[in-house]
Amino acid sequence: MIDPHAFSSVHDSVPLLVTLGYVVLAMAIGLGARGGRRMDTLEQWGVAGRSMGPVTLYLLIAAGSVSAYTFMGAPGWAYSKGVPVFYVAIYLAYLALVAWYFGPKVWKFGEQFGHVTQASAIADRYQSPLLGALSALVMSIASIAYAVLQTIGSAYILLVMSGGRIPLWAGVLLVLSAIAVYLFVSGQRAIGRTNAFQGVLMLVVAWAIGLWAAYLSTGEWGFSGVFTRLEASHPEYLRLPGAGGDMSFSFWTTSIIVSMLSFMPPVWTQWMSAASAGTIRRSASWLPTYYVVILPLVVVGFIGIYSLPELARADTVVLEYAMANMPVWLVGLLGAGTLAASMSSSEPFIHSVALSLSRDVLQPGLKLDDQRAGKLARWLIFPVMFLIVAPLAIWEPGNLVMILLIGLGFASQVLPAFLGMFFWPRASAAGVISGISAGFVVTVLFTVVWPHPLGLHAGFWGLMFNLPVFVLVSLLTRPVDEAVTLRFFRIAAPWSLKR
Amino acid sequence: MPSTWRGWSLLVIFLLLVVMGIWPVIGWINQQTLLWGMPSLIIWSYLIIFACSGAMLLGNCLLRRRHGADPLSKTSAGERDGGAA
Repeated sequence: MIDPHAFSSVHDSVPLLVTLGYVVLAMAIGLGARGGRRMDTLEQWGVAGRSMGPVTLYLLIAAGSVSAYTFMGAPGWAYSKGVPVFYVAIYLAYLALVAWYFGPKVWKFGEQFGHVTQASAIADRYQSPLLGALSALVMSIASIAYAVLQTIGSAYILLVMSGGRIPLWAGVLLVLSAIAVYLFVSGQRAIGRTNAFQGVLMLVVAWAIGLWAAYLSTGEWGFSGVFTRLEASHPEYLRLPGAGGDMSFSFWTTSIIVSMLSFMPPVWTQWMSAASAGTIRRSASWLPTYYVVILPLVVVGFIGIYSLPELARADTVVLEYAMANMPVWLVGLLGAGTLAASMSSSEPFIHSVALSLSRDVLQPGLKLDDQRAGKLARWLIFPVMFLIVAPLAIWEPGNLVMILLIGLGFASQVLPAFLGMFFWPRASAAGVISGISAGFVVTVLFTVVWPHPLGLHAGFWGLMFNLPVFVLVSLLTRPVDEAVTLRFFRIAAPWSLKR
Repeated sequence: MPSTWRGWSLLVIFLLLVVMGIWPVIGWINQQTLLWGMPSLIIWSYLIIFACSGAMLLGNCLLRRRHGADPLSKTSAGERDGGAA
């Protein structure tokens, strides 16, 4: 005879078992990605020997850009504000245009000049190891804050799926240990393979959850019934500035512009991992299509407006709705999908921090050769994960979001370094440092002290100060050696050299 | 700046796509009415998303024609000059 209590216990454990099953599968895929290769060089561990094909690269970039935000934050925005959340979908599509145009050039730089990180390309272009180390360090702060937030998201999912049996600290250690093992063994190849798996899983789970929720809510396998109902009861959610009244046209516009001009280091590393420059273009061309993953989850957020009106935390709307209304196996898949989203985003950032600290800070500082720097990068993931990310994720400092905002503010202000790399040979290291410093100070002030004056994004204000300072100081200081700019502009803008 | 009509065409298309997603265009699209059962802003967002894919695929075709070979191969002229459109 079946013990009904035992059945109930097994039944309750299904979501946790499905979620943990996903972790085991991700580990197996990550460990298998090594394929017998030696992983102690920066080329192999850092950029997968520049070998990734278009499908893997497509899923690597797509899954990397879809974080726990898509499964929790975006539906939460839809629940509390409405359609303003779609600025994310638009800027992600624009990032694909950026990848299509700049990715092949970055890949060429890497192939010809041996760059494996964004900071190494900056140091080389401006002949300034100091500028390279500085950008590596500050980008690392932003990357770590981002990885910590994703890890907190992962641990929260395990806490919910286990019904409180896996506390947050244990969830943090479990997720980081799983990532650490396959990241150490297989490096960027593990990120590529696991992100491919996670990318497919997220897409399937998102649409299964979204369509199921729409059916439960309206009796239709489509979303129109949800919006027809909202149009009658909550029309303010269906247009800007949204229900909160805080997404003005100017904030929408400047948020999109600043976000599409922020070049984060892991994306740079992903471009350099491609098998060829053309591979990046092929992947980028189809990349926007992946962002259909956002729609069904956001629809669940809209459903929550009328079916869960008293929710305490907006970003739990999908989880709460699923746990209240859906079969346990689907709740388990949602847990696996959300965990996949947070892991697929945190691992490229952790990898990129270890890679950049080794290549751009410790290698020039300690005068290490490439082989030692390669070995060091691999081992650095452990202190980064267990001495920085884990304590921060468990401690959960209240100002973490502020650290992330400041870090992202810096990321948006590195634009002059790239303008000098792709468009303007006259840009100098002093010009870039001055522009970034001015922009960074303004961005921090307009994020922390006077948030977003005149409804314009703080990063946009930063750029308005940054760019004139960058141009002026560059014109007043000595340019970089012509041989170096020629080397870069033969790839970045060959037509400008023919004139 | 681009040096061919193909390069200029692509630049104009890319800029138009960016303009489509920001003010003032987004202000004209921002209606409360539903189109095919969806808010107009969501329909517009996905139109931009798929148009971005279309523009890049067109760009791939133009690069291939310009160089008389597949610019997406590792050793083509398109790659040697950094894929300048």
